[in-house]
Amino acid sequence: MASPCEVIVETSDKALAQKVGKLVANEVWRIEDKYSRYDKRSLCYQINNNDDRSISIDNETFLLLEFSNTCYLLSEGLFDITSGVLRKVWCFDGSDNVPSIEKVSEILPKIGWSHVNYSETSLTLPKGMEIDLGGIGKEYAVDRAILLIKEFTDLPVLVNLGGDLAATSARNNNQAWQVGIEHPGFEQSQPIVISLLSGALATSGDAKRYLLKDGIRYSHILNAKTGWPIVDAPRSITVNAPQCIQAGILATLALMQGQQAENFLNEQTIKFWAVR
Amino acid sequence: MQLNSKDDQKQKIDLKSALSLATTALLGTATLANAAESVNKDNWSFDTAFLYYGESNRVTASEGIIAATKTFNDDKTLNLKLTVDALTGASANGAVAQPNVQTFTRPSGNGQFQVSAGEVPLDDTFRDTRVQLNAQWTQPIAPDYTASVGGHISKEYDYLSLGINSNLAFDFNKKNSTFSVGMSFFKDTFSPEGGIPNAFSSMVINTNAESEDENEFKQSRLTDSDNKTTVDLMLGFSQIINRRMVMQFNYSYSMVDGYLTDPFKMLSVVDQEGLAQYYLYESRPDKRTKQSFFAQTKYHFEKNILDFSYRYMWDDWQINSHTIDSRLRMPLSGSSYIEPHIRYYQQGAADFYQPFLQQAASLPNFASADYRIGEMNAYTVGIKYGMTMSGGNDLSFRLEYYSQQPTSAGHAEPGVLANMEIYQGVDAVIAQVSYSF
Amino acid sequence: MATSIDKVNKFTNRCSILASLILLSGCANLGVEPWERDLLAKKEMALTASPIDAALDDHIYFSKEASSGGKSFGGGGCGCN
Repeated sequence: MASPCEVIVETSDKALAQKVGKLVANEVWRIEDKYSRYDKRSLCYQINNNDDRSISIDNETFLLLEFSNTCYLLSEGLFDITSGVLRKVWCFDGSDNVPSIEKVSEILPKIGWSHVNYSETSLTLPKGMEIDLGGIGKEYAVDRAILLIKEFTDLPVLVNLGGDLAATSARNNNQAWQVGIEHPGFEQSQPIVISLLSGALATSGDAKRYLLKDGIRYSHILNAKTGWPIVDAPRSITVNAPQCIQAGILATLALMQGQQAENFLNEQTIKFWAVR
Repeated sequence: MQLNSKDDQKQKIDLKSALSLATTALLGTATLANAAESVNKDNWSFDTAFLYYGESNRVTASEGIIAATKTFNDDKTLNLKLTVDALTGASANGAVAQPNVQTFTRPSGNGQFQVSAGEVPLDDTFRDTRVQLNAQWTQPIAPDYTASVGGHISKEYDYLSLGINSNLAFDFNKKNSTFSVGMSFFKDTFSPEGGIPNAFSSMVINTNAESEDENEFKQSRLTDSDNKTTVDLMLGFSQIINRRMVMQFNYSYSMVDGYLTDPFKMLSVVDQEGLAQYYLYESRPDKRTKQSFFAQTKYHFEKNILDFSYRYMWDDWQINSHTIDSRLRMPLSGSSYIEPHIRYYQQGAADFYQPFLQQAASLPNFASADYRIGEMNAYTVGIKYGMTMSGGNDLSFRLEYYSQQPTSAGHAEPGVLANMEIYQGVDAVIAQVSYSF
Repeated sequence: MATSIDKVNKFTNRCSILASLILLSGCANLGVEPWERDLLAKKEMALTASPIDAALDDHIYFSKEASSGGKSFGGGGCGCN
């Protein structure tokens, strides 16, 4: 998952805590192995290199594609899991290496959820197109982990995968989990402390992933329709929602509103914390 | 996403709940348990059922079905079904009850049987086993177009039926609406034991095996076998109304051509006193055109699901019928449900239906006393209990009570017939067990 | 010679067709978005939720009554009617 992951269990039973930890780790690794774009053995890699042939998919993949489809429709095309190919053109390393308009236009035809053909049992991607579940993978893993933990034990557990986290329940005696949101790399970084009783938190932010050229800051959140970054978005948004994947999508959709990010979330009566 | 002030309020609510729903679809269902299934989806699923049908004094039947479905890649499905059924028991032969004992020749020509006074004559040589095989292939042929073709073969010792069907469905309006067109063609061949009797020929009482009676019997037979063809056309439209409701409307047109008479049935010819003088084999037209209009709704309440349908049928034999059918599926727990069922059926008589012939009247072109094309009401009440077992397989039990009551279509009942039971009701119990795996 | 039964039939025919057309014209704005199909996607909400039960019942009613089909093909099939 390319970030530190932790499982916090409120108990004095060390063996049990270790079991829970192992349970979560196995599930997270399973999802990572399956949907990693980079691992040649993963299902995702197979899908992305199948050259316009149809590939069999299982129920879990189908459900994730359905969810991605819903997000695509709800965001009117701004959220599109086929936009991962843009990484070939955009490299957000804090430098001023902004690609040319021609380079971006060249790759645009390879993006478009509408070109993806899928059913309950199969998926066909045109040649040159890729799906990237990075936008929802971590949050999905958190939610899956929570589901598995709840089947296994009633103990209060918090699962934190690199800043995307959720709790199975409040701590003992109905106390809240104290979660600190740090924003490394920000000049004025006052850690925000959130009292979490239930539900999930997901953070979408740029930290070191940006480009700075001619005084314009290019966020790493790309508009799938134009291929260009969103401008004037907050540096970071943390959203609270019942499930992590919901929080994650809301945070991403909010960032895509650029200037209007905070208004967008306020009008939805969603709890969030934004840093500009 | 532009948030215009007038769409503001509506869009806001939509987004939050839309995402909630989408998340529930992804995470919140029992399918999660199988999220780590193997990528191969090439396996078969089976549905089996066994049904017992028992009328109080008449026909008893049992039927077993095994169906197998396999889903291939790209949404192609193959469905194979094997049905075996066996019937025994007695069925009304069309003659009317009399205040004296009656003697009838078995349709096969072998032997006779007698019916007590006052009883509706039932012929008990009705005994048969049937095997049927169906195959159906369905696949998408273009985005939003699904095609299906299938074949059917059914064999009893005296009956062979061969059929093919095909169907094309078109989805539109974000798959909220579907149009479908279907056609089927059946060719049935009938070789009843004893041959096909001449229409309106007299039933011969074979009192002994002497050659002259045998010849007379043979002469009453027209031919050994005959056939009929059926062409069905169906237009369907289904529409999702809202998140909880879907409706379907069908129009069907059916043409049957060929031998439509029942060779085992006859009519009593009675005099003015209502006493039977002799019996004639029935005769029906050799064509029948049926049309029907069918409407169905399914509605999902908080937990329960209601299924309600209505069918109106009319044909050129002047038979009209109304059918109302309704089921309510009520989940009892996470894995079991109970489903009460009620059906009401009413039909009007065919124009050539008569419970008996009058000796004084001239012979009509066609006549039949088969109560199944007469006027009748019928109702069914039943209940089904189903559960999902620990292995994920489904088991269900169904118990129903079917009661049919023929009624008078207005024919006069002369003489002794006024005291006879002309329209006898039929009651049956239906019991079924099904298992899917 | 059109009998009163014929006239009633013709009238019912026309009513059914008219009803269908009215329903169809109102259908353009009915329906759900893809993410609202949670209930509709359930197996129990299929128009024919138990095809085996339906096939068994159709066989019984085809043998004991004068009507058949409507929801699916009536067809020939067996010597029971």
